[in-house]
Amino acid sequence: MADTVAVVEDEQNIRENIGFALKREGYHVEVYADGRAAWEAFQRSLPALLVLDIIMPRMDGLELCRRVRGISETIPIIFLSSRDEEFDRVLGLELGADDYLCKPFSMRELIARIKVLLRRIALDRLPDGGDVQVHRVGLLALDLQRYTARWDDRLVPLTVTEFMILRALARRPGYVKTRQQLMEEGYPHDTFVSDRTIDSHIKRLRKKFVAIDDTFDDIETVYGLGYRYREQG
Amino acid sequence: MFRRTPDAEMTSVRRALSGISFRLLAFNVLLVFLPAAGVLFLDTYEQHLLEAQERTMGQEGRLFAAAMEAAHQIDSDHAKSVLIQLGQRHLARLRVVDDTGTVLADSAILGPRRESESADPAPPNQPAQRTLLYRIGSLPVRLLRALGAPAPVGDDAFDIQPTGQLLGPEVNAALEGRYGAATRVMDDPARTVILHIAIPIRIDGEVAGAVVVSQSTSRIMSALYAVRLDVFQVFLASFAVAIVLTLLMATTIARPLARLRHRAEDILDRRGRLRGGFEPSHRSDEIGDLERALSQLTRRLEEHLQYTEAFASDVSHEFKNPLAAIRTAADMALEVSDPEEQRRFLGMIQGDIARMERLLTEAREISRVDARLDEEERAAVAVDGLLTGLLESFRLRRGDTGPGLELTVDDPGVLVKASPDRLIQVFENLIENAISFSPPTGTISVAVHSAGATVEVTVADQGPGIPPEHMDRIFTRFFSYRTVKSPEDGHTGIGLALVKAIVEGYGGTVVAGNHSGGGAEFVVTLPRLVD
Repeated sequence: MADTVAVVEDEQNIRENIGFALKREGYHVEVYADGRAAWEAFQRSLPALLVLDIIMPRMDGLELCRRVRGISETIPIIFLSSRDEEFDRVLGLELGADDYLCKPFSMRELIARIKVLLRRIALDRLPDGGDVQVHRVGLLALDLQRYTARWDDRLVPLTVTEFMILRALARRPGYVKTRQQLMEEGYPHDTFVSDRTIDSHIKRLRKKFVAIDDTFDDIETVYGLGYRYREQG
Repeated sequence: MFRRTPDAEMTSVRRALSGISFRLLAFNVLLVFLPAAGVLFLDTYEQHLLEAQERTMGQEGRLFAAAMEAAHQIDSDHAKSVLIQLGQRHLARLRVVDDTGTVLADSAILGPRRESESADPAPPNQPAQRTLLYRIGSLPVRLLRALGAPAPVGDDAFDIQPTGQLLGPEVNAALEGRYGAATRVMDDPARTVILHIAIPIRIDGEVAGAVVVSQSTSRIMSALYAVRLDVFQVFLASFAVAIVLTLLMATTIARPLARLRHRAEDILDRRGRLRGGFEPSHRSDEIGDLERALSQLTRRLEEHLQYTEAFASDVSHEFKNPLAAIRTAADMALEVSDPEEQRRFLGMIQGDIARMERLLTEAREISRVDARLDEEERAAVAVDGLLTGLLESFRLRRGDTGPGLELTVDDPGVLVKASPDRLIQVFENLIENAISFSPPTGTISVAVHSAGATVEVTVADQGPGIPPEHMDRIFTRFFSYRTVKSPEDGHTGIGLALVKAIVEGYGGTVVAGNHSGGGAEFVVTLPRLVD
């Protein structure tokens, strides 16, 4: 079954073009001209991936992203923005977006990123059993194929990007990963992300784990260097 | 650039001297020179005193001559006896010469010497010109005198000729029967000036000899010297006071100004960019006013810079949407093989290019209004006439389609001072905006109402009205809450911002609201031109 991609964009031509291109790639496409219309539809059913413009009438992309994250922690979200200011980018990623593209973007690149994010999600749907690779560090268990994380056998809802950052940290507990390294792990396609983006992802990661176990403090900040996963004693 | 190097210190010293401090000093010192100018007056005074002395000497001489004439003879003994009689009462030196100039009698050789005798080398009451202070003060005058004055002539040279004759222009004049006078400068350190006059003695109508009266001017001079010294002391004291005053003025005026300059320079960073604001101090004087003016200036400048920056950022943001549409459409046009599809994408590109052009024009228009509205020519424009013409052109362009247009005027011929083209831009934008929100069967009412010193033009439609949450942003450039954005509808979000910029440029206001009928209502208020 083909994945459904929702495009929320107030520019008619951009919306049409993305829709056209995605259909050619074989996806189902839902298009919305403003955030409010999209939100009404998402409350009934969520698509597999969201492409959101940031500045839109009636409800902007940031607000829509925040609301969607209230329903689903894992749905991949890509922002399109005509503002390339640091603030918007960080804010978008802080709200839990997985990727960020600046207008004017190349359609080929957008499609490529959509495919990457959807492929990761698709792994999540692999049937249980088989050669399931699970990486365990203490109470943390990372399913490297399904991109899911469990803490003390309880599922922690992570976005793909958060999962990849956590995986990079947990791969070698006790070793420091710089923000640059984490950026490369979390955003293999994007070289535009800033250090602060990593900080906001770490903040979200900690929050999600603390929500499950309020004694969680295994992600450590190493000032001036980066982050590391606590070595298990 | 603003580091204080030794060079900069030098410059600042030079600047302090050539600046206000220097001028203050100059003014103060000039004031001080006023008493010094009194010295000039003293010169006139000296002249008067000398003339008076000469008159007195003349009287004495004539008295003596009369005494000699009364005796009808001129001989040494008689002259001496008269001299002895008169000598006691005379301050001047009297000499009698016969018609060859030979001295017959001399009061200096006769009776007891009295003060201010001609050849007295050190008159006792001339201490003033001895003091160092006086010498310093009189230095320029002495230099002048040394250059211009004749070489001193000793009285003796004049006095005692080997033949015992007394010679000189005044004696010669007297012997020729005229009044003679001469001034001689003694060759002593004090440069004592001696006045000489000669009066002929006539016996039986013939000049038989002359009376020569001579007296030192040292009494007058010493008195004047004392006055001059006083003036010089006053001058020195005033000079000191002037310097102190200047320093005080410099600290209260020039110093704060210099500090102000430094602070003003600090507003700019090394690359000459505005860096933060300028905080005025709480001075209540003119320097405080200057600081406040400067502070306001920098604040305005900063606002303008922010505005320009925000404008550039807004424009670049607005350009990215059509640019993104063009890029994706071009990507797709290359991707698809169906010529029909390709044509569709190319058409899309054309539409977005047209939109970018429109954006560019309008952005240029609004920045032109912001920058140059004041420079545009203004005329007295009848608002109702302008609107009648504008509505007519709308009807011609649109035919009978769309909402109706209706104009009501309560005060025909009311004038405003503006560029008619700009006014048309204002109302064209408002009416187009109203048309785009109005249902096709609705009516757009335009009303002109004059209220005191202002003219109000109301443009109301019967559309859905302005959502309250967007009311405060409705005039923000590039803001649009239209849900449908496509190149075809041509709304760039600049129209209402342009309206606001023009109206405010003319000193008016524009207010958006919803009227009781439910539609949107824009009220433009402009200052009325009273003829």
